[in-house]
Amino acid sequence: MTDRTAIPVSVLTGFLGSGKTTVLGHLLRQPEFSRTAVIINEFGEIGLDHELVEASEDSFVELTTGCLCCKVRTDLAETLQDLLRRRDEGSCVRFDRIVIETSGLADPAPILQTLMTDAGLAERLVLGSVATTVDAVNGAGTLEREDVSQKQVAVADRIVLTKLDLAGAAETTLLARLKSLNSGAPLLSADHGRIGSHDLFAAGLYDPATKSIDVEGWLADEDREHSHSSHHAEIEACAIVRERPIPAIALTLFLETLAEHCGADLLRLKGIVNIAENPDQPAVIHGVQHVFHAPAWLQRWPSDDRRSRIVVIGRRIPRRWIEVLLDAIGAEVDDVFPGSSRSWAGR
Amino acid sequence: MPGDLVRELLVESLAAWRVAGDVEHATDGSIILRANQRSIRVERAPAGSMFRWMVTIDDRKRPAISLVAILRQLREAIDPGYPAKRVRVTVAPLVPP
Repeated sequence: MTDRTAIPVSVLTGFLGSGKTTVLGHLLRQPEFSRTAVIINEFGEIGLDHELVEASEDSFVELTTGCLCCKVRTDLAETLQDLLRRRDEGSCVRFDRIVIETSGLADPAPILQTLMTDAGLAERLVLGSVATTVDAVNGAGTLEREDVSQKQVAVADRIVLTKLDLAGAAETTLLARLKSLNSGAPLLSADHGRIGSHDLFAAGLYDPATKSIDVEGWLADEDREHSHSSHHAEIEACAIVRERPIPAIALTLFLETLAEHCGADLLRLKGIVNIAENPDQPAVIHGVQHVFHAPAWLQRWPSDDRRSRIVVIGRRIPRRWIEVLLDAIGAEVDDVFPGSSRSWAGR
Repeated sequence: MPGDLVRELLVESLAAWRVAGDVEHATDGSIILRANQRSIRVERAPAGSMFRWMVTIDDRKRPAISLVAILRQLREAIDPGYPAKRVRVTVAPLVPP
């Protein structure tokens, strides 16, 4: 019989040489990471990383080559479908989580999009969290030079500093750069790859422990009132908070307009929204670039805080534009549907 | 809805699109946007119209059903690099069943 419990898929990314494989190798030796299917992507025709990862007997490693983000629509989806089929048939370990280690050159956004949009996968898999490794020795320079490394940091739920034994401590400039790119992602440290597995992958929208949606954890530590940027940083994170419920049509128009006008510059958006038509059940929204996951409806608010909180991570998207766009669309919806004005006007 | 909010939306939209220009209120209550050597007038549609807005670009007046439609028309007019594309965010119900 096919087990239809959603299987979380976590993504481990980070630039070339930042220590992803070392961290993964450590994780797979932990008891709580048994029954894990791992997909390792390597750039180049001959893969080595999968040989370097020693998995327990209850876990196993699949290898794909080529640039995962370029071929992701087909290769990753097919690999995941094949894993699920073999699991259902009993021809492989009955894994209860999947970890994807991207190549160091991969843009993680298309990978996340595939996990969110492939209809065949969406009913079986749920996006877990995204962890990004950053080399404490070379990380600052890499972030300065390599756009893709900035994106890897920007979409992370957790950032893992590696090679601290070589660097002694992360440079102030590196920490400031990480904060400017993604202030909401807690910074963790890996000691020769050793890191708590719960710490690393506990920040996903889906909580494997409770088999529920952990919104508070997902949005934890996001600065809710400020944008974070530096004068030279193109990628910024900002949080939009609204006290009053948002009409459903206003939210839809807002998201469509963001996606239409920002395209690939909209790296990631996540939020919990108080919908005016249904204020007792918050909607959880999640988008990567122009692709948005269908809202997930929670049974109840996870805390007494019923404000809508939307976190936007983008490249050169002015915070003020996002705010005014939401407010203007809300005001127009008030004009057209006067009954909704009670819920929106005055924020 | 407040005209100042619409004006601010257009100002901030120019910044978001990284297009140089300016936006001002005209004496008749309409809003004039100038960018890329074009002058564009945005005004409320006449009472009784099925549209909410009228957008005049190069003497051609076109209706717009919403602010979202205005933004699309403006950007197509002043940002040559804008790949006009329509996106569909979700086919899921907007409210839970």
